[in-house]
Amino acid sequence: MSSSKDADPTLGYLTRKDTEVKLPRPTRVKNKTPAPIQITAEQILREARERQEAEIRPPKQKITDSTELGEYRLRKRKEFEDLIRRVRWNVSVWIKYAQWEESQKDFARARSVWERALEVDYKNHTLWLKYAEVEMKNKFINHARNVWDRAVALLPRVDQLWYKYIHMEEMLGNVAGARQVFERWMKWMPDQQGWLSYIKFELRYNEIERAREIFERFVLCHPRVGAWIRYAKFEMKNGEVPRARAVYERAVDRLADDEEAELLFVAFAEFEERCKEAERARCIYKFALDHIPKGRAEDLYRKFVAFEKQYGDREGIEDAIVGKRRFQYEDEVRKNPLNYDSWFDYIRLEESVGNKERTREVYERAIANVPPAEEKRYWQRYIYLWINYALYEELDTGDMERTRDVYK
Amino acid sequence: MSEERDVHPDCRNASNPYHECTDYCFRVIAVAKLRMQQQQNQSEVAQASGGSRREEAIPNELYPDEGTHEDGPRPEENSDSDPDQPEPAQEIMEDGSFPKLSSRQKKWRELRAKMQEAKKHNQIEIANEKKRMEPPSESRGVSKQKWLEDRKRKIGKLLDANGLDMTKAYMLDTQEAAEEKYKKWEKDPAPFGWDVFNQRTLYNAYKKRTKNIEVDVEEYNRMKEADPEFYRDASSLQYGKAPKISEDKIDKMVQELKDRDAKRGSFSRRRTFREEKDVDSINDRNEHFNKKIERAFGKYTLEIKNNLERGTALPD
Repeated sequence: MSSSKDADPTLGYLTRKDTEVKLPRPTRVKNKTPAPIQITAEQILREARERQEAEIRPPKQKITDSTELGEYRLRKRKEFEDLIRRVRWNVSVWIKYAQWEESQKDFARARSVWERALEVDYKNHTLWLKYAEVEMKNKFINHARNVWDRAVALLPRVDQLWYKYIHMEEMLGNVAGARQVFERWMKWMPDQQGWLSYIKFELRYNEIERAREIFERFVLCHPRVGAWIRYAKFEMKNGEVPRARAVYERAVDRLADDEEAELLFVAFAEFEERCKEAERARCIYKFALDHIPKGRAEDLYRKFVAFEKQYGDREGIEDAIVGKRRFQYEDEVRKNPLNYDSWFDYIRLEESVGNKERTREVYERAIANVPPAEEKRYWQRYIYLWINYALYEELDTGDMERTRDVYK
Repeated sequence: MSEERDVHPDCRNASNPYHECTDYCFRVIAVAKLRMQQQQNQSEVAQASGGSRREEAIPNELYPDEGTHEDGPRPEENSDSDPDQPEPAQEIMEDGSFPKLSSRQKKWRELRAKMQEAKKHNQIEIANEKKRMEPPSESRGVSKQKWLEDRKRKIGKLLDANGLDMTKAYMLDTQEAAEEKYKKWEKDPAPFGWDVFNQRTLYNAYKKRTKNIEVDVEEYNRMKEADPEFYRDASSLQYGKAPKISEDKIDKMVQELKDRDAKRGSFSRRRTFREEKDVDSINDRNEHFNKKIERAFGKYTLEIKNNLERGTALPD
């Protein structure tokens, strides 16, 4: 007991015994049956809710003369300054203060509050946005320009600031200024959307030549398939077919090995179709199919088949379809070389095409896959392969020599 | 199976091989006999009491001990099958001549009354719960759910008319409608939560604003003539130097900003306030907090809440 008296220095002259809360010893519950009237938790909550008293608000006072206004302002300013002193890093408090000053039409003070806020956190783009908006709304154009300039210099990667700055200049009719800001922005090599908004800006004023130049820079800055396609589409929209073709060709030169090259090829081929150049389109498709590894050519195949159906003759269509199926079978037999069913299908396909060389080749490959175990059912199908081969040689090619070879 | 069962030959359940006549049966038999007697002598209504006394005496004599402990189960097992049976018995009770009979009767009647009341309460509760469970009717306008259900019904009717299945509902669309749908699918889904102001949405917002720009071509050309450095470079020294901007342009800009401000208000809509079936807050602040918590943890605590409501946890 004595140790506890000295142990707690915070209690000062009082001892632990004095400061202990003295509660009556809890009585034992004698009657454990449920009460006759039960109450639910929800009922308790509802009652509590109903018994809430209305919030106590200070009475509404009307300000009648300037001294009262002065007092009110003083009070509010004191409040705000206290708040800021407490939570310096809370941006919304600063914003509320600044906007209250604005509502009081005291712009010098408002500006000072904004500047202090920026001192705390200049990296916060909302602060800059709101500050500039305040200046703009109150028609202080040059002030607004200053603010925007600083914002854009400090946070060049925040696109929103650039957008709004340019929009302001454009709304004011200062197109040259807007253009200069755009140029400044493009120096930073922004995202695709930035470039596109610049191009749209130029097109709004029908400056097609300039738009073209910007496009050139754009595809240099973003050497991606999407960019090139947009460029070509822009040229198409202006009806400049040879230019568009040139663009596509350049793209193909540079991006033939890109991972999204098939999109480019598809777009190019569609362009040629629209120009009614079926032959060129076919060439492009073939080139693309040769170029692109089988894994990604799915879409391309589909488009090619559709194209052939529209423009090609029967042979072309068959060729395309056969190519597609061939590709599928290759896949299958690569995965399961012992799956004789797929081999059979493949062989039948080749036979229908009638290309002897290929058929023979496929047969050879098929019979190279000797079944693994000495089990009857594996060997059964394998034998069928042999038999089919022999028959084929005999019937289709009429080549007796080979048949004999095979039988051996 | 004993052959000697206590079955009165006049008992109507005599054909039932498992039936054993009890006091109630005898009472019933007595009543039936009484009715037959009444039919015979119409004028002697008063004899009913006398006759009953006689009939009641018989079962009391014969089976005095069986009477008492048959009271409980009897009314329950027979109440559903013979609703009209008690009537004549009650008739007899009117004058309350025999205390033993009336106490049994009374008890039986009480039990029956309790059962009926319980049934009634249950029905009411079922109806209330159903009303609570299904979505509340909208006070303002047509609710989205109702509209969707209506549409589904209409589409179903059309489908049936053409002999189609629900899975082939797309066959009802016209070509234009189908194209619209494809366009919508290709568009990315709208972002929500912290992602609302991503680059893409900001760009789209800017694009929308640019649609409001009025391009004045003559003024543009005039400016082009006036300014030698119209196509400025980024590093041009003309930076910041602006032509004299007319008042109305400034006003237009201010107006646009004010419009944007007003639009900002309708960014998130106000949800309808439902007279909440379940109240789980004592305050408005509490309610707001509960909403936030529900949003964050709702799907994880659903099971726990259900268990608490039920009172016991499920064994899985």
